[in-house]
Amino acid sequence: MSRRLVCSVAATLVVVLAAAGCGGGSSATSDGKIKLSIGLFSDFGYDNLIKDYQAAHPNIEVEQRKVKMEQHHTQLATQLAGGRGAADIVAIEEGAVAQFRASKDKFANLADFGAKDLKSQWADWKWNQGTTDNGDFVLGLGTDMGSLGLCYRRDLFELAGLPTDRAEVAKLWPTWADYAKVADTFTAKTPDVKFVDTSRNVYKAILDQTEEGYFAKSDDSFIVEKNDKVKQAFDQAASLGTKKQTNALEPFSQDWNVALKQGSFATTTCPAWSLALIKAGAGDSAAGKWDVTTAPGGGGNWGGSFLAVPKQGEHAKEAYELAKFLTSPDAQKRIFKETGNLPSQPSVYKDTEVTATINEYFNKAPVGQIFGSSADSLKPTYRGSKDSKVTPVFNNALQRVEQGKQPAAEAYAQALKEAQDAVK
Amino acid sequence: MTVLRNHTEAAVPAASVVPPEPPKRTWRDALGRWDGKYTPYLIIAPFFLIFGVFGLYPLLFTAWVSLHDWELIDGDQGFVGLANYTQLLSDSHFWNALFNTLSLFVLSTVPQLLAALGLAAMLDRGLRAKAFWRAGVLLPNIISVAAVALVFAQLYGRDFGMVNYVLGLVGIDPVDWRAETWASHLAISSMVMWRWTGYNALLYLAAMQSVPKDMYESAMLDGASRWRMFWAITVPSIRPTILFTVVTSTIFGLQLFAEPQLFDPGGTALGTGGADRQFQTLVMYLYEKGFRLFDAGYSAAIAWMLFLLVLVVALVNFRLARRIASKG
Repeated sequence: MSRRLVCSVAATLVVVLAAAGCGGGSSATSDGKIKLSIGLFSDFGYDNLIKDYQAAHPNIEVEQRKVKMEQHHTQLATQLAGGRGAADIVAIEEGAVAQFRASKDKFANLADFGAKDLKSQWADWKWNQGTTDNGDFVLGLGTDMGSLGLCYRRDLFELAGLPTDRAEVAKLWPTWADYAKVADTFTAKTPDVKFVDTSRNVYKAILDQTEEGYFAKSDDSFIVEKNDKVKQAFDQAASLGTKKQTNALEPFSQDWNVALKQGSFATTTCPAWSLALIKAGAGDSAAGKWDVTTAPGGGGNWGGSFLAVPKQGEHAKEAYELAKFLTSPDAQKRIFKETGNLPSQPSVYKDTEVTATINEYFNKAPVGQIFGSSADSLKPTYRGSKDSKVTPVFNNALQRVEQGKQPAAEAYAQALKEAQDAVK
Repeated sequence: MTVLRNHTEAAVPAASVVPPEPPKRTWRDALGRWDGKYTPYLIIAPFFLIFGVFGLYPLLFTAWVSLHDWELIDGDQGFVGLANYTQLLSDSHFWNALFNTLSLFVLSTVPQLLAALGLAAMLDRGLRAKAFWRAGVLLPNIISVAAVALVFAQLYGRDFGMVNYVLGLVGIDPVDWRAETWASHLAISSMVMWRWTGYNALLYLAAMQSVPKDMYESAMLDGASRWRMFWAITVPSIRPTILFTVVTSTIFGLQLFAEPQLFDPGGTALGTGGADRQFQTLVMYLYEKGFRLFDAGYSAAIAWMLFLLVLVVALVNFRLARRIASKG
């Protein structure tokens, strides 16, 4: 009895490996319409746009499929591997795009449909992130972006004797070293409150302001041993952890929400899209307490997505047309007004309607202006195709420092060794 | 019938015998024979067909994949023989995951089965509202694991968790349940126990109810205590069920995934079972390698090692449990 039971149960586990994601691809519906599916995560704000598109194109029917972000990319990977099941249009997040760029054979080259003519719509860096082969292969069209700001609690700053006005706060930290000094002042005055939620995001913000991180822009080789920037970013972030100035939280987790609600930390790095998360976590009672200003070191980008067309779909041309429509300047402006997702196109984020936008909850901060100007000066860091293998290794190291399990130097040495193993 | 007739005819002198007419074989007989011979196979065939397609084929395919450098999306990158396995054997993360899996398995299964046994013994006594209590112990099992994990994650919260609050009342410093190895193992084990103790208790209860009552009566007449009756009568009588639960718990325990993965605030996208991988199980490592880092070949090798491990531990446990249970 035992053996068969063991076999069958163990086998079901193994099934997981072979099972590709399910769900039908595209097809013509019975009434002769072309059915297009679009695979998304979280809210892209496409509902109204799709309604309009269907009205203008009566032969097209669009179906949105939404899953959680962490499942979305895994599911897409298995669907690409299985050769079926992927939506006609799929969203790929900026952090994952390098990984999928390595498998570009599974995607349609949008340049074949004339995508290169659209290039001037986007900020250069955004366009480049979605292309490969020196710009000859267009993998995806850019959707929103995640300009980086820094959010802080006005009431806690006041308690620590720091200025609260966002322009003056910005003057406190032109660089990350200054940011660390503010942290020291803050901790000395209010030792019970942590200065920042997690050192990991500080690290990410610093590293994202350099041109190259773990990998060389020229040949995608692993360069951490040579690149002092990584070590510097790590040390700056880790020292916050060593001094117990961080709350050692997993960003955007349940505990993070609770800490927001309890006012356990005073600052957090905030990309445009995270304002909604902070508001949701901190709740209405904290309205006006949070504010947003420019990040030390001059901006950065975190997040934002691309719309790509997998080759396996039957209607690549029609899918491209829809993707083009959904990422057009008009569409991006409308999405910004409806959901607050920040446009990635200069003509839109410089539009007076966008720059004049303020966020009531964040003490009426002029978010359109803060995030828009930060986008303009942006030099995005190069992400290698193995970035996703290395990033968690350094994140874990920072967390070990925060948790007091390891001194910073030791944690870095271990991370470097693990990263070297991971990219072999 | 035929046999009987032949037998009586054998008594008649041979010379005068007309050779007996061979029994007439109708299509009905043929069908009956065929039916008796093959129908059982036909009836069990669907299981083996489905097992073949969804069990055996993936098993063999996984073995095939594990011998290759196999990228999840781009597929086969060339045959590498046993390289994935040799790399695995020198991979400290693999041994770490193996240790965590075994530790979590022991921490959750042993107390779980003992508690289930005790719970079943209580439920077996004359209780009021029997059906209520019996259905009640199964309740944790039918609640979605995601919901259970959500609740336990809050209970074991570092700063505002209820467990730490209660510990604080008796003067114990707050524990960072996710950061420390043993703390995280205890927390996850408690989640597993919460889900499965009732289920096993019901299995034991069902078995206990078929133990003949007169055995207890005669034991009582001999003046045996309840404790002694439990170990000398109840436990040996439900031996097959104990063996069953030990084997199934082993299989599920070694494949532990959902509870620790959901306990990890990093989730499947970022989580590695803690910053030190202090609660990463083998299946979590398999998932990380295969579905986050897209190294399907290596992941397949982990799957096969796990398969062999489950096989070995299940057999050992089967032997062990049979011996212990037959001692009574």
